[in-house]
Amino acid sequence: MIQDLLTNKKHLFADGANTELRAQRNTNRQVVLLNGNLVNNMQKDQFGVSARVYENGVYGFSSTAEYTDETVKEVLKAASENAAFLARHAGKGKGLFRPEKPGRIIRAYDLTEIEQRTYIEFASALDSYIAQKYPDLLSRTVVAMADSMEKLLCVSNGCDGHSVLPRSYILVIMNYPTPEGKPVELMKIFGGCGTFDQNFRKPEECYAGIDELYDRIRQKAEGVYPEAGNKTVILGGELSGMLAHEAVGHTVEADLVIGGSVAGPNLHKRVGSELVNLTDFAHTAFGKPAPLPVYVDDEGVEATDAVLIKDGVLVGYMNNRDSAERFGMVPTGNARAYLFSDEPLIRMRNTAVLPGTSKLADMIASIDDGYYLLESNNGQADTTGEFMYGVTFGYEIKKGKLGRALLDTTVSGVAFDMLKTVDMISDDMTWVSAGMCGKKQPMPVGMGGPAIRCRITIGGR
Amino acid sequence: MIETLKQTAKKAVEALKNEGAEKGESTVTYTVKHEFNVDGGEFSLFRTLFDKKMTMSAITGGKRGAISQNRYDDASIAESAKACMAAADASAPDEAWDIAPQIKNEDFTLGEVKPDLDKLFLRCRELMETIKTRFPKIIVEQMIIDHNETFEAFANSNGALFSTHKGNYFAELMFSGHEGEKATSFYVSILTTEDLDRPFIECGSIENDLANVEKQIDTESVDGKFEGTMVLMPLCSLELIGGLLMNFAGDQGLLTGTSPWKEKLGEQVADERLTISIAPLDGRIVCGERITGEGFPAENYDLIKNGRLNAFALSLYSANKLGLPRAKNDSDNIIIEAGDKPLDEIIASIDRGILVGRFSGGAPAPNGDFSGVAKNSFLIENGKIGPALSETMISGNFAEMLFRLRGVSKEQIAAGLFVLPYLAFDGITISGK
Repeated sequence: MIQDLLTNKKHLFADGANTELRAQRNTNRQVVLLNGNLVNNMQKDQFGVSARVYENGVYGFSSTAEYTDETVKEVLKAASENAAFLARHAGKGKGLFRPEKPGRIIRAYDLTEIEQRTYIEFASALDSYIAQKYPDLLSRTVVAMADSMEKLLCVSNGCDGHSVLPRSYILVIMNYPTPEGKPVELMKIFGGCGTFDQNFRKPEECYAGIDELYDRIRQKAEGVYPEAGNKTVILGGELSGMLAHEAVGHTVEADLVIGGSVAGPNLHKRVGSELVNLTDFAHTAFGKPAPLPVYVDDEGVEATDAVLIKDGVLVGYMNNRDSAERFGMVPTGNARAYLFSDEPLIRMRNTAVLPGTSKLADMIASIDDGYYLLESNNGQADTTGEFMYGVTFGYEIKKGKLGRALLDTTVSGVAFDMLKTVDMISDDMTWVSAGMCGKKQPMPVGMGGPAIRCRITIGGR
Repeated sequence: MIETLKQTAKKAVEALKNEGAEKGESTVTYTVKHEFNVDGGEFSLFRTLFDKKMTMSAITGGKRGAISQNRYDDASIAESAKACMAAADASAPDEAWDIAPQIKNEDFTLGEVKPDLDKLFLRCRELMETIKTRFPKIIVEQMIIDHNETFEAFANSNGALFSTHKGNYFAELMFSGHEGEKATSFYVSILTTEDLDRPFIECGSIENDLANVEKQIDTESVDGKFEGTMVLMPLCSLELIGGLLMNFAGDQGLLTGTSPWKEKLGEQVADERLTISIAPLDGRIVCGERITGEGFPAENYDLIKNGRLNAFALSLYSANKLGLPRAKNDSDNIIIEAGDKPLDEIIASIDRGILVGRFSGGAPAPNGDFSGVAKNSFLIENGKIGPALSETMISGNFAEMLFRLRGVSKEQIAAGLFVLPYLAFDGITISGK
């Protein structure tokens, strides 16, 4: 674990400023087997310390890869000088932030170092299984990966913290030819929060998921393009989670609200049907640990849930301490930094549409002509709330029954219009956490949701 | 500093050999970044970063391991060499792994290595004031302007030894247009420059981008669906074509065998007016790569020459695996050769189509199918640029599209990392609500 060289530097914090000191280690492990060839076999560690100082409405920041008593003092001094420079030229006449609840939250423990051999052997076992059982694939890729983030935080008027957040995943990607010989692709992700040895005990435990992936890619290869236009669809949990994150979540990050996002003029207004509820969970959701729990943020704010949409009405934003004061809201611990050398930004944690009361089978049965969209390879959204996702797997729905599988397509819409069309929400939840959100810095985030029935524009071909 | 880093890289290679590596290489980097941030139109942050990076890779009996970390003291080098070899030992042998031969060892100094921070701040402030005065409907959601000084050394066990000391300024602006509660899609302009001689507003496409976005506050939607011409603005070409090219000509598509171009080297894959180069040594590219990540001296190359597939963008491993030539550099400094018609003339020739500023789409399928939302875009009708558009989708197939080139503009945008014209393609499906 990171040795504490920070707490005994608190006496160096200036009285007229908010100060944060953070020591942080990030690790990444990845092996990639492509058609049985080990094309990537990588271990990466990044470790260092940073200081951020808030003075007169602006921040100064500095970081270094050396972590000693001397370098901690040096980054503190450099951050103070940077804040003073900017305050002199562009200060805003603001005072200190409201004090946050003091304390120290410890969620740290020693992570066992897992040999690279473990990742290679596990991925090789899965690759052999696929190669032997499914020789008709055009190509197969197996990725074993793990990352972790350990943070030691010391702040001037808030909560100190020491946390560790490990994640580990297996990705299996298959390519299969359509009858015309064009390749189609599908991916399945296994894993979640936790170290590789906690999440993956035996390769056999992944076989059923691999078999399901193969079934799906065979269906997709025989699939059809959806008919383009505005359609009634069911978004599966993976897609409704992406909707929560991309189309709504980003627009209600307070820094983007200040930049002019659509959420600004819509606060306290109806943005969805009465069925729609959306929350950014801190560390616990529905009585269980959230996919990627955050207990204290990098500004020293104890993390609590941020309720964003309640019964269809936009009720709040995600804030840092600065924006919370600007909007008269309570910060909920959304200021997060990816590396030691990154400053905290307003980020999501575990953002989800809340489940409803409908049964998925009833939702499918209710649609005469539409689509059930299950998997996505990426999504993007605008500050206007306009969003799009690439859809990599789904089915037609004809007369209340699932029909043929779909080829790759795209769906799009405007979040606050589309959410008003939601008229059924299933009573279950799907969470995903393997991705990275991109916003100046990457950041691991969780997202989730139930199946939702709505109207959406589908791209066809 | 450079001499110290060269010695460190050599030390890392020696450590690998001492651990039993037959072949080894190391890159050692030290960077200093000074960065100003503007958020919501106001200065918010000034930061200074000092960072290190060391990568090492080892090959023994065809088995390869690699490691990256940000410490390079003697103890860390020894520990990394052990971990790197352990990773190699655990892998399966593959004769395609290799390292670069010693060709010609060189030291390079590029750009303005030391920043003028006072001038950088003044240029930032000047840009903010210019935007407020000349583009009052624009809100700068975020602006990041920085200077990066990089010291880097590369060594391998064949005796290759290079160094680079470079410095450049980088600007990224994310902004949108606003009038009352009406707002445009956000747009991102980027610029890399060696010096601060000119105001930022005069560099790259920043002025043009701001002017375009201000015209997008009132939008219309396309009725139904039609097949028309898509004109890509230069930054959009980078986004859409750059990504698709790597799918077709890069390691992944060729190693998996899914690239439609896998058997097309030397064949016509695009209209003959299209020439696409990857050219870090071009005079318009700022601080372009001089040494590849694998330790070869970087050279420019044409990926597509007059419509013919001239090369693949392959790493040394993939090239050896596939029995094809490796790429002569591994940069993304893309240059698309200018055409002979001005943009106005190309637009005037289009009956119905779309001028696309930004493409928001799913990852393109391996077969080249793409579809997504046309952002920051305008309708083209009867040879004229019409109203700005919202909720408009475009779709097509990359391989087919390259043969349906209507025109390449005479005008090019050079923004430091790329040089791109406007490109017009026929046969694109354009659909509204």
